[in-house]
Amino acid sequence: MNWIIRTLTCSVGKKLIMAVTGLSFCLFLVSHLAGNLTIFKGPKAFVSYAESLHSLGALILMAELGLLVLAVCHICFGIWLFIGNLTARPVGYAVKKNAGGRTLSSAIMPYTGLFLLVFIIIHLITFHFADRGGKDVYYLVHTTFTSPGYVIFYLIAMIAAAFHVKHGFWSAFQTIGANHPKYMPVIKKVGLVFSLLVGFGFGCLPIYLSLS
Amino acid sequence: MSKTINLTLKVWRQPGSEAKGAFETYQAKDISTDMSFLEMLDVVNERLSVEGKDPIAFDHDCREGICGMCGSVVNGVPHGPQKATTLCQLHMRHFADRDTLVIEPWRSRAFKVIKDLAVDRSAFDQLIQTGGYISANTGAVPEANAILISQETAELAMDAAACIGCGACVAACPNASAMLFVGAKVSQLALLPQGRPEAAKRVQAMIRKMDELGFGACSNEAECEAVCPKEISITNIARLNRELIKAAFGSPF
Amino acid sequence: MKLDAKVPGGPLPEKWDKHRFELKLVNPANKKKYEIIVVGTGLAGGSASASLAELGYNVKTFCIQDSPRRAHSIAAQGGINAAKNYTNDGDSVWRLFYDTVKGGDFRSREANVYRLAQLSVNIIDQCVAQGVPFARDYGGLLANRSFGGAQVSRTFYARGQTGQQLLLGAYSAMMRQVANGKVKMFPRREMLDLVMVDGRARGIVVRNLITGEIECHAAHAVVMATGGYGNAFFLSTNAMGSNVTAAWRVHKKGALFANPCFTQIHPTCIPVHGDYQSKLTLMSESLRNDGRVWVPKKKGDKRSPDSIPESERFYYLEERYPSFGNLVPRDVASRNAKNVCDMGMGVSDTGLAVYLDFADAIKRDGRDTIHKKYGNLFQMYERIVGQNPYETPMMIYPAIHYAMGGLWVDYNLMSTIPGLFVLGEANFSDHGANRLGASALMQGLNDGYFVIPYTVGGYLAGMPLGEVKDSHPAFKDAVQEISTQVTKLLSIKGKRTVDDFHRELGRILWEYCGMARNEAGLLKAKQMIPELRQQFWENVTVTGSSGEFNQTLERAGRVADFLEFGELMLNDALNRKESCGCHYNEAYQTEDHEAKRDDENYCYVAAWEFQGVGKEPVLHKEPLAFENVHLATRSYK
Repeated sequence: MNWIIRTLTCSVGKKLIMAVTGLSFCLFLVSHLAGNLTIFKGPKAFVSYAESLHSLGALILMAELGLLVLAVCHICFGIWLFIGNLTARPVGYAVKKNAGGRTLSSAIMPYTGLFLLVFIIIHLITFHFADRGGKDVYYLVHTTFTSPGYVIFYLIAMIAAAFHVKHGFWSAFQTIGANHPKYMPVIKKVGLVFSLLVGFGFGCLPIYLSLS
Repeated sequence: MSKTINLTLKVWRQPGSEAKGAFETYQAKDISTDMSFLEMLDVVNERLSVEGKDPIAFDHDCREGICGMCGSVVNGVPHGPQKATTLCQLHMRHFADRDTLVIEPWRSRAFKVIKDLAVDRSAFDQLIQTGGYISANTGAVPEANAILISQETAELAMDAAACIGCGACVAACPNASAMLFVGAKVSQLALLPQGRPEAAKRVQAMIRKMDELGFGACSNEAECEAVCPKEISITNIARLNRELIKAAFGSPF
Repeated sequence: MKLDAKVPGGPLPEKWDKHRFELKLVNPANKKKYEIIVVGTGLAGGSASASLAELGYNVKTFCIQDSPRRAHSIAAQGGINAAKNYTNDGDSVWRLFYDTVKGGDFRSREANVYRLAQLSVNIIDQCVAQGVPFARDYGGLLANRSFGGAQVSRTFYARGQTGQQLLLGAYSAMMRQVANGKVKMFPRREMLDLVMVDGRARGIVVRNLITGEIECHAAHAVVMATGGYGNAFFLSTNAMGSNVTAAWRVHKKGALFANPCFTQIHPTCIPVHGDYQSKLTLMSESLRNDGRVWVPKKKGDKRSPDSIPESERFYYLEERYPSFGNLVPRDVASRNAKNVCDMGMGVSDTGLAVYLDFADAIKRDGRDTIHKKYGNLFQMYERIVGQNPYETPMMIYPAIHYAMGGLWVDYNLMSTIPGLFVLGEANFSDHGANRLGASALMQGLNDGYFVIPYTVGGYLAGMPLGEVKDSHPAFKDAVQEISTQVTKLLSIKGKRTVDDFHRELGRILWEYCGMARNEAGLLKAKQMIPELRQQFWENVTVTGSSGEFNQTLERAGRVADFLEFGELMLNDALNRKESCGCHYNEAYQTEDHEAKRDDENYCYVAAWEFQGVGKEPVLHKEPLAFENVHLATRSYK
């Protein structure tokens, strides 16, 4: 077997894929959030941000394809790991108790992940592949967030994302071997702050829009 | 001060590896709080023997917390509620009168139940066979002080080497992963200059073997670290990951 | 039978080299034609398996635990001696040799001990190369400490887990050979008999502890490294599984048993606290480097230790032995603890404990320093006793720890049965009547890494051996005998448990053949043990069946052997009309209650030949000639 396949299909290799793709998504979240926050500068700023993105042409297509590849990897390897881990303990315990390592965010990782997958699909259908009927993107966003059901769904998704990122962020560093007594406490704090930023940052948009 | 307590035990009984198991309830009366957990089981077993009933099978040997042979899951936690303690060193003063204790064997696809609470951990031996050693034939070695190792490195290696191979990490891991066990061994040998020549080969072989044996993957939940009687840190897992990256991308094979 | 120790001639320092040269060699290509059985995977068995396999022999290794890594060598805490003289404090091979012979109260074989001291330096090299993380100095060099009454710092250590680290080194070397296909590992097997063909050891019969199946294994030589018999006393620092069965059964097949009354009592153990107690826990002797041992001067003083003023404390070791103080050898420390407790000055509820106090050390060096040195031991103590040794003195009492006696072996470590080699604690060879701290690890590894690879070769090359298969009738007989015993044990269906019998045997031996012995007591015990044995065979209850994982049945077989073996200890103690090392007969003491040796009449190894259960064994003597050391009275004053 080719060394790279051999490496990436072993349990640690699969985790490496999760870590690298996960961290890439963190970068994407930063840029996505930065772009979204232009909405606070008013509809014009937001629309011009969207248009400038689209003017990139082939570049944006490549970025989208890149994201798609990352997503497919993250999802497929995640599911592969999830199923493998389930089968590693065919008979479970009668009493289940956390000994002190597990956190809520780490325990629900696969489920927040799957929920986010559903969210992303709906999110893309709503905003990316939507027939805007000649209206600008601000209009689309604004009208979407007038539906209270969608706002709630979106908010729950953002909470899930925050939890997913909270464990995922430091976990990715651990997986790529970057656990050092000097830096790990900082990484964990940054992860926490980042997860809060993701949660609040993305979460405040629908609230702002539905109230405005 | 020593006193006695009464406990209800719900113990997993399974006559053999292929047999079906179930929980049985026993009353453990007049248990001195100075007893160790295994001495409490001894007392229960003595009473069962006198009644002509089959005593509860459980593995144990040194009863000093170092051989790694004992271990059961007590109320959902491997080795019971006290941190950094093997089951044989857990004393009954940590329980209260009329507590109910659910006692289960280690659960993992790689560890088969042999009988009751005794499990087969030979998978750990197989892991060591795939690389958990330094190839140094007897006699073919340099003078001990020819190899300088800084105190910090020696201490870090010792932290990892303290593993007793009890399997609590696997039992506690939500994924029944052996990453802490493998990480500890790979770390110990990767930290020491003597272990470097084989480091790349070792880490790749051991991880492959670990997957093959049916252990799960690590999801960095640190339950292993929380139950480890020797408090082995998950930084050793990070080092294992690092070693794999180095080996896969840096070595010629 | 005349015992020939086969000690080579020539000056002491040259004996081993000369002997190695004289031993015949097995052609490298022929080694793979030989099968060698190794029983036990402690330091001796593990290192022997690895080393023999590296040479090319086919090794079959057996252990009773679920993994070879769990042998009780793992519990050794303090360290391993080696005459490296890294600290420049005057150590030498000769000094280690002399200290060991003297520590053993001149009841060990000079040539063996010298070889042990000589090879000790190689052990450290070997272990370091295997990745044993020994403690280091700031400069990266190996650190040493003084240990167990030695006046030089020659002990190498890996925190308080030296035995564990050394064992894992040997274990990993052996696992490497398992991967190479040169060692075949059989865990969870208990050796129940030795099979002899034409007067030579040619195989063993074991019980598979999971399935209950009795299995036969043939070989060209059998190496036993099955540890000591301390569990005869029921309560000891040994592991629960440690037993005399393998050694006893080869003794019954004709191997002589040497010096069985030499059992070491370790002075620093956690005292007994209840009838239910299953074992005693040792606290490393290194604690005596900083802890001060004392009892209240007033008998039956029930005050808490901190309210007893300095002037009312009896620091008996410091007062009685001004030059060694708290660091006197184990036998001396143990006997003095018993002595003060017998005088009524003992502490704890039972009156069978003395204080080991760190208050002065903490005041002098600070709590952090003490924590660094002994943190794990303090933690262990607190876990078991529920008291904090930083705040209140530890309570300690002596407990059975190590068996100096064992199967008799010659200079080649071969027993009186040709082809049966015995290593480590299972043999009697190197520690005389008392073992010094940090010497057991040294001996186990020495035997396994550096002695047996040569001497087994010498044996195999020395004579042609015919093929023996495990279908040989001798195996059938052994299997038959074992099955009969197993069936009998299961059919008694009596009222008393196995542990109950074991506990009672232990009490008899501790009372009459423990730290201090006298003729009347020994004779009394000699009556009690056969009675107990009879009761055992009439009234023991063993549940379950033979064809399953049956821990009660395992223990029953072991206790049956202890019940026979105990009598041999008494015979040996009765025979040795002197006090030496750990054998302290009250009739033979100096004016200030020290052991009084009788070199004129008892400077020999007492090797016993089995005659039948309940029959008087026959004594064979191996005279001990001391050509290089002067037989002195041990004095630690």
